[in-house]
Amino acid sequence: MTRIDRSRSLRLLCMLVAAVAVVVALFPLYAVVVGSFESTYNLFSATYHLLPVSPTLANYRTVIGAQSGHVLTSLIVGLGTALLALVVAVPAAYALAKYQLRVTVLVVSALLVAQIIPSIVIASSLFLVFHWMHLLNSYVGLVLADGTYAVPFSVLVLRAFFFSLPNEVIQAATVDGASEWQTFRMIVLPLARSAVITVAVFAFLNGWGDFIFAVTVLNGASIEPITLGIYSYLGNYSQDWGAVMASVVFAVVPAAVMLALAQRYITSGLTAGSVVG
Amino acid sequence: MGETPASRRVDGRRARPGSKGLTAQRRRQLAGWLFLAPAVAYILFAFGLPVVYNVMLSFEQSSPATISSFTAPFAGFANYRAVFSDPTSVQAIVRTLEFTVGSLVGQFVIGFALALLFTLRFPGRRIARSLIIIPWLVPLLVTGVIFKFLFQLEGGAVNQVLLATGIVHHPVDWLDTPTLGLVSILVANIWLGVPFFVMLLYSALQDVPREVKEAAFMDGAGAFTRLRFIIVPIVRPVIEVTLLLGFVFTVKVFDLVIGLTGGGPANGTQLITTWSYNLSFQQFSFGLGAALNNVLLMLAVICAPLYLWFSRESLRASSGIAR
Repeated sequence: MTRIDRSRSLRLLCMLVAAVAVVVALFPLYAVVVGSFESTYNLFSATYHLLPVSPTLANYRTVIGAQSGHVLTSLIVGLGTALLALVVAVPAAYALAKYQLRVTVLVVSALLVAQIIPSIVIASSLFLVFHWMHLLNSYVGLVLADGTYAVPFSVLVLRAFFFSLPNEVIQAATVDGASEWQTFRMIVLPLARSAVITVAVFAFLNGWGDFIFAVTVLNGASIEPITLGIYSYLGNYSQDWGAVMASVVFAVVPAAVMLALAQRYITSGLTAGSVVG
Repeated sequence: MGETPASRRVDGRRARPGSKGLTAQRRRQLAGWLFLAPAVAYILFAFGLPVVYNVMLSFEQSSPATISSFTAPFAGFANYRAVFSDPTSVQAIVRTLEFTVGSLVGQFVIGFALALLFTLRFPGRRIARSLIIIPWLVPLLVTGVIFKFLFQLEGGAVNQVLLATGIVHHPVDWLDTPTLGLVSILVANIWLGVPFFVMLLYSALQDVPREVKEAAFMDGAGAFTRLRFIIVPIVRPVIEVTLLLGFVFTVKVFDLVIGLTGGGPANGTQLITTWSYNLSFQQFSFGLGAALNNVLLMLAVICAPLYLWFSRESLRASSGIAR
């Protein structure tokens, strides 16, 4: 083979492998969307169909009443988790990056180790602690628990961002007579906008997609996020797959919309921090 | 970035000698502490307390009646003895390790190959790279449910593909035997984890010259040698961190199993996490659950010193303004 042939066939090979990878990555989601427009009867037939045999909106009609409330609950939980992550993480990250405190290394180490602790360990203990504190079946309790995904990550990402923020900017503000708090609020926060949005979106997705804390610290039907809504379908023997698939669409689309809207900020937020690694 | 001590002293406003300068410094320290306080409180409440409480629980004789009281009678090592003599728990521990090793091997091999692929130049590589991240969006429980759908006996897409390609002649009952059930979870988890490996390894591979990578793909015999002796050494630090994080993420997999097999059939796919959940929340033996949790915690925390060592760069003290 000549060099040119070789590089051409290499390119073709690359495209082929990449195409296979993309198909494998996306097929499960494609199958969900197709399944959501298919009747459960057809989903139980012996063969799998790439397109709905008899497209129907029946699944969505079944599910919209049952799952809309759950979607709303998940939205509240996601927003609550994002809010908690911001309130706790933004000032902390600023302090850990720009103030010389004696505990900096200790706190950063604690945050790194915190990321390692399995959620089931936290969930089992928090169930009893919340029981004792009367925080079971409450948004506050669930958001406090869901924050365990988001807070350590958020502090570390934001801290990396604040490292890249020139000290001169902060000093200029202080020299002009601004207090520490004013500097933080008027100068630092606006500059950190994309990093803050990045962190908020990830925290939202954590709260949105959480299942383990929802299934442990919520044990009634008063608050039920979409993940629990889908989970409750699983126990039944004769599964209504059509309804499950439509519910899955409900569980994925809002998150996808959120991520798409914030994409612009996320790219710059993460590269500024360049902490993913 | 930081100032030299000399320049700081020149700045009269900041370093005015005497008590006023000290006050400014103190005020700044105080502000730093206040900024940090909510996070410290949160860490203590949401991580410190649960870990300590979990250790306490594991030495207590808990029962449904003790749930309302904060503590239960001391039980010594009884919970640990019970856990280690319970076949389901022991199998869950062994299975968790098998599952973790299997996942890491699969995720790493596929992730590394794809990361390498995406560093080469070919049309569509950017879009392919961004599409491949999409699985991340799906809540983990939902991923489990989706794969349960795909692995169905009748009308499942996986069986359909296997039948069509002639790999099997009869539909495989994936979710009805423990071994195949675990394989299904493994496949789902690899699907889930590959994007993470691709992302991290891809950015590391940017440092490797392109000719070297192309050659690694093309030269039949030389490829593996090149990969092993030229490319891998360059990206080794990132490989290590990625595998470590992969290990930590995989030992705590929970949602995926609940969505896919629920730990069944006959507890044949229970991992430490799901079995501990079962012990605590279905059998209300929080002591046993806590003992099993501590086994998991040990597995994860073994990695902590390594993780801290890999992150030593970010552990450096603040870049801030010293005053």
